[in-house]
Amino acid sequence: MIGKIVTTSVAVLMGVTVLSAGSFNAQAEKDRQALVKYMEKKFADPEKSRAQFFPYATDEDVKTNLKKGVKFEDFRMGSYAFDKIGRGQYEEINEMPPYEDNIDAGEELYNNTKGIKKCFPDPAIAGEYPKFDDKKGKVVTLSLAINDCLKAAGQKPWKLTKGKMADLEAYFAAKSKEAGKKVDIKIQSKAAAAAYERGKKYYYSQRGYLKLSCATCHVQGSGNRVRKEVLSPLLGHTTHFPVYRLKWQGLGTLERRIKGCEKNQGENPHKPGSPWMSEMLYFMAYMSNGLPVDGPDIRR
Amino acid sequence: MQRMKLLVAASAMAGLLSVGAMAGNADLVKQGEKIFNTKKIGNCLACHAVNGKNINNPGNLGPKLQGLSAWPEQALFDKVYDPYTTNPISAMPPFGKNGVLNDEQIKAVVAYLKTIN
Ligand code: HEC
Ligand code: HEC
Repeated sequence: MIGKIVTTSVAVLMGVTVLSAGSFNAQAEKDRQALVKYMEKKFADPEKSRAQFFPYATDEDVKTNLKKGVKFEDFRMGSYAFDKIGRGQYEEINEMPPYEDNIDAGEELYNNTKGIKKCFPDPAIAGEYPKFDDKKGKVVTLSLAINDCLKAAGQKPWKLTKGKMADLEAYFAAKSKEAGKKVDIKIQSKAAAAAYERGKKYYYSQRGYLKLSCATCHVQGSGNRVRKEVLSPLLGHTTHFPVYRLKWQGLGTLERRIKGCEKNQGENPHKPGSPWMSEMLYFMAYMSNGLPVDGPDIRR
Repeated sequence: MQRMKLLVAASAMAGLLSVGAMAGNADLVKQGEKIFNTKKIGNCLACHAVNGKNINNPGNLGPKLQGLSAWPEQALFDKVYDPYTTNPISAMPPFGKNGVLNDEQIKAVVAYLKTIN
């Protein structure tokens, strides 16, 4: 709130261009608030709202497994915000988090990779990406920003899905969490708003030979099951990456996770780092604005 | 008679006439059940539990299937071929229209669905 007041008064001082910055996110903000409202309503009392939100769920799910009264902050936890059984297993594994070594490796990379510290003097920036770069006219995800920085320092870029990239992002996430940072995505130009709109369109369109949209599973579907997996909500999807997945036996970035879901959709995955992927991530991250950064994390 | 022929032709095109006639019905049911429960083929269990059958960890994006033995075969075929014909906002994939399953496979699935009470 204070941040908002400060920005506003700076805007007044600086005149028109910055003044209108506040309004470029008007539609996104409307979308975000609607999503929060939908999710809070859906998970206020699943048994009561069964007919509306969980028409095909089992008695066991709506009466005992799904948690009631899920709060806004809880959505940073993905499906563990409401899946009691999953949450129990998650907490057990988290007693000995398998990603600790990755954070250490990430700190090493931060301190010893040429150029990185100069580009990112403050490592607690996980919640600020993706950003829209008005000079380049495109969305820059954290992974792309890291690679731009490496290239500027004369180094080879890293793979966007795992390895060093995931380790360094784990360090950034841990530092951001430690500092109590929240997701804070900005839309400050017409071009940025257009990129957001394209990302939203990708998210809500039916694609792949199965004709499923991301939203089928993660908006309407959230809290329901595909096989035995309880589906996580769009709200909070970007807060806790990178994640250590048992299935991967290792750490992976958000880009890596989304590739898997595109395959589930029956689609040839888009290239991580492509405008398609970056713009969708921009939309997804904006939806999580205001939630605490909570990475790295573990998932099945 | 002419009309009858047309009907026969139409349903043969829709791939329905031969349910039960081609392979033994039991074989067809088995084949359909396999398609239903196999991840790389139909993967129907990802979204559907089935009344009276033992399905391993079914999902629930779709309804628990029951009472399908009473459905006309054509209606079941259409549902699996393209659910949007009866429900334009269905979350179910159009298995036939999008070429995930061919007509023979859908016929087998329909034979299996007909055993669901
Ligand atoms: C057929 C259903 C389905 C579709 C369609 C689908 N997903 Fe998923 N998604 C899943 C399942 C199942 C999981 C694992 C359980 C969970 O965390 O939701 C998952 C997990 C995720 C996660 C990780 C959540 C976490 O907390 O670790 C993200 C991010 C995600 N999906 C994004 C997407 C995006 C983006 C799309 C569209 C390009 C998409 N999904 C389409 C089923 C789907
Ligand atoms: C991604 C989820 C999903 C998958 C996969 C799926 N379905 Fe469905 N199915 C649904 C939904 C949602 C409905 C309810 C809406 C409708 O009728 O279109 C439904 C409805 C049905 C119905 C009508 C049931 C009734 O009582 O009205 C039948 C029959 C059916 N599905 C069969 C199948 C078969 C066979 C397969 C696999 C070849 C399959 N489904 C795969 C989601 C799915």
